[in-house]
Amino acid sequence: MRAEIATLQEDMERLGYIADPAITTALFLSREMRRPLLIEGDAGVGKTEIAKVLARLLDTELIRLQCYEGLDVSTSLYEWNYQRQMLRLRIAEQEQKSAEEIEDLIFGRSYLLERPLLRAITRREGPAVLLIDEIDRADDGFEAFLLEVLSDFQVTIPELGTIRAEHIPYVILTSNRTREIGDALRRRCLYLYIEHPTLEKEVRILRTRVPGAGARLAEEIGRFMQALRRRRLSRAPGVAETIDWAQALLHLHREHLDRETVEQTLGCILKDQHDLRDLSGAALDPVLAEATG
Amino acid sequence: MSEPADLVHHLAGFARALREHGVGVNMSDEADGLAALTLIDLGDRAEVRRALRTALKIRQRDISVFEELFDRLWTARTGSARLLAQKRRVQAAGRPRPQTGAPRPRPDRDSALESVMPEGDEPGYSPEAVLRRKPFDELSPADLLAMERLLSRLALRLATRTSRRRVPSVRGEVDLRRSFRRALAHGGEYLSLARRARAIEEPRLAVLCDTSGSMDPHARFLLGFMLALRRVAKSERSSEIFAFNTSLVRLTPFLRTLAPERLSRVLERLAAEVPDWAGGTRIGECLAEFVDHHLDQRVDARTVVLILSDGLDRGDIAPLADAMRAIHARARRVLWLNPLAGDHRYEPTARAMAAALPYIDQLLPAHNLESLERLLPLLAA
Repeated sequence: MRAEIATLQEDMERLGYIADPAITTALFLSREMRRPLLIEGDAGVGKTEIAKVLARLLDTELIRLQCYEGLDVSTSLYEWNYQRQMLRLRIAEQEQKSAEEIEDLIFGRSYLLERPLLRAITRREGPAVLLIDEIDRADDGFEAFLLEVLSDFQVTIPELGTIRAEHIPYVILTSNRTREIGDALRRRCLYLYIEHPTLEKEVRILRTRVPGAGARLAEEIGRFMQALRRRRLSRAPGVAETIDWAQALLHLHREHLDRETVEQTLGCILKDQHDLRDLSGAALDPVLAEATG
Repeated sequence: MSEPADLVHHLAGFARALREHGVGVNMSDEADGLAALTLIDLGDRAEVRRALRTALKIRQRDISVFEELFDRLWTARTGSARLLAQKRRVQAAGRPRPQTGAPRPRPDRDSALESVMPEGDEPGYSPEAVLRRKPFDELSPADLLAMERLLSRLALRLATRTSRRRVPSVRGEVDLRRSFRRALAHGGEYLSLARRARAIEEPRLAVLCDTSGSMDPHARFLLGFMLALRRVAKSERSSEIFAFNTSLVRLTPFLRTLAPERLSRVLERLAAEVPDWAGGTRIGECLAEFVDHHLDQRVDARTVVLILSDGLDRGDIAPLADAMRAIHARARRVLWLNPLAGDHRYEPTARAMAAALPYIDQLLPAHNLESLERLLPLLAA
């Protein structure tokens, strides 16, 4: 293994993110090749967390753009501050300024509201980490626009001209795959698919993130989660749920899993009514047996 | 052969093998793969594997194919000195420029996650509720009339679904950006406010309707629904309708010339245009014809393809599977309505049905109006 990749893994672990080599290799390549990294995987496997850890690792700002249907340029890139422009316009009229002067005044950078994408490319202190979260929720049109920004790292504002990136940000895109990402955008990025963690990795994550949980409890929780994911569920729980659950159990002062405890706290890990119903009562026993046996 | 070329060739051969096994890897991906290989420890096979997975953008569904080909084709190379020399030369040569071709439309494969709950009207006893659940083949002429009214209400609901995207409009919320722009033209006076409202997104549909004998009552209803939809849709181009049994007929042009009249009469006239209406079926050949002559023009990444058939066909299933694969690759979503699926004991075991199944996003029942209602959220743009 290349030394830098091993170091990256240690560094991330120091910050509390247990990364397997697939994750660190992808992150290393994305950093070296200066290409955005598209991360896919089920909800709760730690996609967003990667961007946060990367920002801390590089000691830089994390700029986050949360995508949703209907997201457009004025909320993702820039917007003029109309109220201030209008006020300035009134004052300028009283000062009897010429049209050109007024125009230069109100279309200056100080009247521009920077939204996440613009902020990410205009940050002066060094490259930021730009997290474009849940890109699958935005519509196709926005994806095409994003592709343009991510290809050139420059933005054209009609009144101001073209703004080039001061530093090219580290870009991480995440997707829950509710919609297939277009081929062009996918090709622009490097790609990482995160699986649910193995038992060993999940236990290590638990020991790191919930240090109060004993070795036995962590092991049992890990095995329970693994057994749960082998069942047919409409929403398989991710690591995020595992951590929540461990914390809940800790607050309840439980040191190992039994049926009563699990039944009381199942809502921490199963967030679907049908899953909860299917796994109530006696249906829990085989899963518990796998976890504690 | 020079040594750096060796690594390039090896990667190209590997990429070709991936393509031959249906994994989409193009030139720009190969260039990324090569760039990635120059950055990692080539002696570490596991790392090479991981790097290629990331740089060639191997999706989760293709991972097993990738792993198998990697094991078989990526020869173990231990002569790291030789490879290092290659690496340096490759680095010196610089990264080839990625070539980005026209983006291929992607089908929406995760649509199975979407809710299929009917929206709107509450269940309960009412003549309408009974009508909704009544199987199509048990309807009386009086039912048919009532059904027509219901159909057009359903169609209206679908055609007026609003998107979350906002577009300029005469009504709706104030659009500051455009209002300001307008005011500037009048020296800063807001003479009029620009407004924006949610766009109405019309669904784009391609409907393939089996009109063979076993499907007759159901075909009439699906076609009736589509006709009602066309009537309320703003754009004529929003839906395409085909009928098939032993051959494929594009019905769309006939619909244009039909005056709005009683559904049953329209259907009678359509039936006259389709040879062998209520005869036997050759699904595979008909779908293959659709792929050859209509797929490129009538189906794009926004189109939902709706196939109505019971899948009872004794013909060759190979052309069917090929055609379904092609349709699935191009359409936004492929839905198959099977009246038989209304029976909870139904398993899609008919040969044609089983062959088509891997390329269907959702298999749905279509035996009564209620099941058509469930379709609505799936058809929406």
